[in-house]
Amino acid sequence: MTQDAQAVRSEFADDPDMSGIVELFVSELPDRVGAMNAALAAGQLEQLRVLAHQLKGAAGGYGFPRLGEAAALIDQGVKDACDINVIRSRMGMLSAFAARVRP
Amino acid sequence: MSAAKIPLPKVLAIDDSELIHRLLRVRLQHEQIELHGTTDAVEGLAMARRLMPDVILLDIEMRSMDGFAVLQALKDDIDLQDIPVIFISATASMEDRVRALDMGAVDFVAKPFEVVELKARVRSALRVQHLVKMLAQKAQVDGLTGLWNRTYFDRRLSQEVAQAVRHRRGLSLVMCDVDGFKRLNDECGHPFGDLVLERLSKILLSGRTSDVPCRYGGEEFGIILPNTHGSEAMEVADRYRRAIELEQWPGPTGRTITASFGVADIHALDGLQSIEELVGAADAALYRAKLNGRNRVESAHADRPAR
Repeated sequence: MTQDAQAVRSEFADDPDMSGIVELFVSELPDRVGAMNAALAAGQLEQLRVLAHQLKGAAGGYGFPRLGEAAALIDQGVKDACDINVIRSRMGMLSAFAARVRP
Repeated sequence: MSAAKIPLPKVLAIDDSELIHRLLRVRLQHEQIELHGTTDAVEGLAMARRLMPDVILLDIEMRSMDGFAVLQALKDDIDLQDIPVIFISATASMEDRVRALDMGAVDFVAKPFEVVELKARVRSALRVQHLVKMLAQKAQVDGLTGLWNRTYFDRRLSQEVAQAVRHRRGLSLVMCDVDGFKRLNDECGHPFGDLVLERLSKILLSGRTSDVPCRYGGEEFGIILPNTHGSEAMEVADRYRRAIELEQWPGPTGRTITASFGVADIHALDGLQSIEELVGAADAALYRAKLNGRNRVESAHADRPAR
C-alpha cells in the first residue's frame, strides 16, 4: 500500500494520445536507470552524463518533470566535475524516484 | 512546373534520443506534416539531402556530430542552406541560444518542450519557408510564358554541364529564335507578338519531359537537353520546328510562323571552358540557320574543320 500511495503518475495519464508511449517509457525506465547505475559503477561518467542528459530532455515530455529535474542534477554534476559521492547521492535519489513512477 | 496536388510539408527531426522521436511522432500526429526522423547526425545530413525537408528540428548534444556542426554543414551546402532549422535542446544556456541563432537557426525550443509552443513554432517556420520557396520560384519563372527565365537557365546549364562532364553523360543545348519577330510585332501589334511567344512556349513545354525549355530573352529560347547527344538533339529540335510551323494562328488564313534552331553538343566541343562557350556555339549555329533561309535546324559541329 505504501508504494502505491507514493506512486508518481504522468501528468498526461488522461491523454489517450499519450498513453501508449507513456506506458512504454515507464516500462523501459528500470533498464534506463539500470544502465545509468552500471555506468556510474564502472566509472564511465561521460556515458552516465549522456544518459542523464537524454532523460533530462525527455522525462518532462512524458509527464514526469521531477524525474527530468533529478536527471538534470546528474548531468550538471558530471559537467561540473562534482565529487563522486555527490554524483552517487544524486543517482541514488533518481533511482528511488524512478521506482515510484507509474504510467 | 505546377503541382496538381500540394504535398504535405516535410519535417525532419535529428535527435540522438529515441524517446524524443516517439514523443514528436505522437505530439505532431495531428499536424498537417510528414514527419521523418533519425537518431544519427550524419544520417540526418544524408536524409536532408534526400528529402529536402521544409523544416529541420535539431538537437544540440549528439554523439557522432553535435548540432552546431550539423547546422554548419547545412549552411555550407547551397541546396540545403535555406531550410529553416529549429534547435530543440535540453542544454538551454544563453550562449548556446545566441550561437545557434547567429549561425542561422530560425528558432530555439528548450527541452522538455511545451507541446503547444512547439507546434506553433513549427507552423511559423513552415509559413516563412512557404513564402521563401514561392519567392525563389517566382524569381526564376518568366512572367509572360511561364517558362524558366534566364537566371534559372544559367544556373541549370552550369549544373547540367558539371554533371555531364563528371558522369560522362550526353548533354546538348538548343537555341531557338522566332523568325521575323520584329516585323510580326510591327505589323500585328505587340499583343499578337505576346500570343506567339506564349503559344511557342506551350509547344516547347509539350516535348520530352526531360527537356528544360527556358526563355533566354526577347524572342529567343534556350532548351537544355540532358542525356542527349547531338544527332538526337537535332531530331528533337526539328520536331519543335515542325510543331511551330504547323500551328494555326488567328487572323488571315494560311499565316505561318516559323522559328530557327541551333544545336550544340558539349562532347563535340573540344575542351569546353564555360557555359558561355556552349551558348555561343549554339547561337552561332542558330545564326547560320537564319542565313541559310530560316525555319531550319543547324548543328554547331557540321562545319568543324576535319583536322
